[in-house]
Amino acid sequence: MAFDRLSRRGFLGGSAAVLGAGTFAPRLARAETTEIRALLITGGPLYPKYWEKVVADFTAKTGIKVKYDLLEFTPLTTKVVTLGAARSNLYDVFSTHTAQIDSFFNYFAPLNEYFSEDELKDFYQVGVDYLVNPKTKGLAAIPRNMDARTQYYRSDVYAEHGLKAAVTWEDLVDVSQKLTGNGYYGLVVPGQGDPAQRTFSDLLWQAGGDWVDDAGKPSFNAAPGIEALTYYRDLIQKWKVVPPDAVSYQWNENSTQFSSGAVMDTFDWPGAFSTLSNPETSKVVGKWSTAPYVRNRTAISCAISHAMALNSMSKKKDAAVEFIKYTVSPEAQLLNFNDYSNFPSRLSVAKQVVSEASGAKAEWLAQLEQTIATGKEWPKLPGFSRVCTLMFSTIERALSNQQSPEDALNQASAEALQIMTQAGAYN
Amino acid sequence: MTAAAQPAGRRWRGSPLAPSWQKGYLFASPALIVMIAILIYPLIYSFVMSFYRWDLSSPSQYFVGLSNYRDTFNSLGFKQTLRVQLIFSAVTIVVEVAAGMGVAVLVNGRLRGLKLARTLLLVPPMIAPAVVGLNFRWLFNGQYGLVNGILRFLGLPEAPWLSDPDWALASVMIADIWQNTPLLVLLFLAGLQSLPQEPIEAAQVDGASSWGIFWHITLPLMRPILMIALMLRIIDTFRTFDVVWLMTQGGPGGATSLITVNAYQSAFQSASFGHASAVSYVALAMSLLFLALLYGAPWAARKMRRNS
Repeated sequence: MAFDRLSRRGFLGGSAAVLGAGTFAPRLARAETTEIRALLITGGPLYPKYWEKVVADFTAKTGIKVKYDLLEFTPLTTKVVTLGAARSNLYDVFSTHTAQIDSFFNYFAPLNEYFSEDELKDFYQVGVDYLVNPKTKGLAAIPRNMDARTQYYRSDVYAEHGLKAAVTWEDLVDVSQKLTGNGYYGLVVPGQGDPAQRTFSDLLWQAGGDWVDDAGKPSFNAAPGIEALTYYRDLIQKWKVVPPDAVSYQWNENSTQFSSGAVMDTFDWPGAFSTLSNPETSKVVGKWSTAPYVRNRTAISCAISHAMALNSMSKKKDAAVEFIKYTVSPEAQLLNFNDYSNFPSRLSVAKQVVSEASGAKAEWLAQLEQTIATGKEWPKLPGFSRVCTLMFSTIERALSNQQSPEDALNQASAEALQIMTQAGAYN
Repeated sequence: MTAAAQPAGRRWRGSPLAPSWQKGYLFASPALIVMIAILIYPLIYSFVMSFYRWDLSSPSQYFVGLSNYRDTFNSLGFKQTLRVQLIFSAVTIVVEVAAGMGVAVLVNGRLRGLKLARTLLLVPPMIAPAVVGLNFRWLFNGQYGLVNGILRFLGLPEAPWLSDPDWALASVMIADIWQNTPLLVLLFLAGLQSLPQEPIEAAQVDGASSWGIFWHITLPLMRPILMIALMLRIIDTFRTFDVVWLMTQGGPGGATSLITVNAYQSAFQSASFGHASAVSYVALAMSLLFLALLYGAPWAARKMRRNS
């Protein structure tokens, strides 16, 4: 028997060979395939399946493996901030968003060299513009899907009361008052953090105002800003057409209030179209319709985007860029729209889905297109990310009646000017 | 010659320390290295950061002196934060210490069911603060929360627990008191059970009332335990974050924004680490100030009495 003749030297030699093979073989095998890491956004029960498919398809096509982690929007942003502060190269690719992009201008590598002018022409201009660092003109991320809001209302209840979807601010109050009572509310809006700033921002533009003037100085405390914040506060505190807890609502609470049937009207993102149509995530399937966002002096609201970014510290930039390109490819965007109703950031894909849609979906897409066509975003000036945090509490203070809208905005404006000056916005 | 072979008390050449000391440091060095790496180094690093403009949107960090501290004290949000922090610390510490002492005296007796009560007291401190925060967020939910449900059932007016600034502060204080009072009960209970019984029995024989015994004998004897409890709670209230963040995120409008919440927002929402570090060091300084007052005030009083 072989074991009978096994010498000590033979045993040790054999063990060393096995150990060596175990140690080096995987490395040799790994050298043949590139693996990148990505930190990707999720939300809702279906999103993980989307990434699973996109990543599997990408690997099948390119041979590049993608190891990824999924996080919801807020924890994802927090994690990218932490990694950015540490200049970490743990991930090569990040999901990101227009809203926070200015915080990451120095952590994300410019994508200009990877996307030609012609390629960029296929993306919504507004989607690309607000992802560009105004100082360096570097493209910090590439839009994956457009984020714009439309009105979602309970068409069954509206029909019962002989009501039509609100068109103006006044209509909104009027209709919502008629539908508020017996534990139900006519409307829901978020009132905390970034969602509160987003809502104020839309109302500010609709009132004819803007965040900064032509010189880049804060102008959100001018008359339109005060009008917008007063209207926003009054929806909750004066007309009481919004659940009183709304001052503690963010997007999830806002959407859940509508999908649970507790409120009759809301303004939500494209993904809501899919969520509200799914019996697993909505109690109001088949009972709602969409309408354009309400208007005042203007019909402007935000047109922003979920985007993909490249880590400037990545050691596998080429492979990472290939993955980014695949996630924004027409193929991936179509899948994203068909399964999750996320509106494409490519004009060509948008054109295709609009032309193929019919009925209520076609109407909704037309409303979204209109919103995007006139939409905008708050400025990406140095220091504005700190101004955003300042605005969260400023808006919340007015909404919870701790300060008048005028006082809150005036104080915030003075502090915002100081922050932006210090950050070099006017150098 | 090895250190072990040297006669006791003999020093190594060039070393001022006796070999036993050197061995001690040698054995402690792994722990010291870990402590320095994960505690001292970050502490010093973040202190240095507080003097730099250090945010993600700037290509480089540069020295700004006391600017971050000046910005912090000039910002409206931080003034509100200081007020909220002082109210939160004062109310929760007073209530927790008073309630903790009261319950400890109660469960120190010989009533039936006290063993179960003492066991149950362990539950709140064992629950993670994040879980406590989430649970209380649901309990205090205006529309679907249990608390308002009970009030509705009893025909009482509902409270805007998390949407009104004053109620929101009260809500987070209730959650904090619920979680931390039992810990103080256990601490006080251990103290009460270790007190000498002779003075208390002597007072009872002399006919002193229960309140008199507690006020004039038990409480003075419990002073060292009380000081430890106060010290722990002062340190802890300046570190409280999870419960408040998960219940209110510091809102509405900064009404529950403790210093830690302010620092978190500076770091992870504004991506401004210089300011966040400055805020954190203000919290540390305040915590130390209160501890100095806690220990320094009685010392100063004793010294003044002696001098007079």
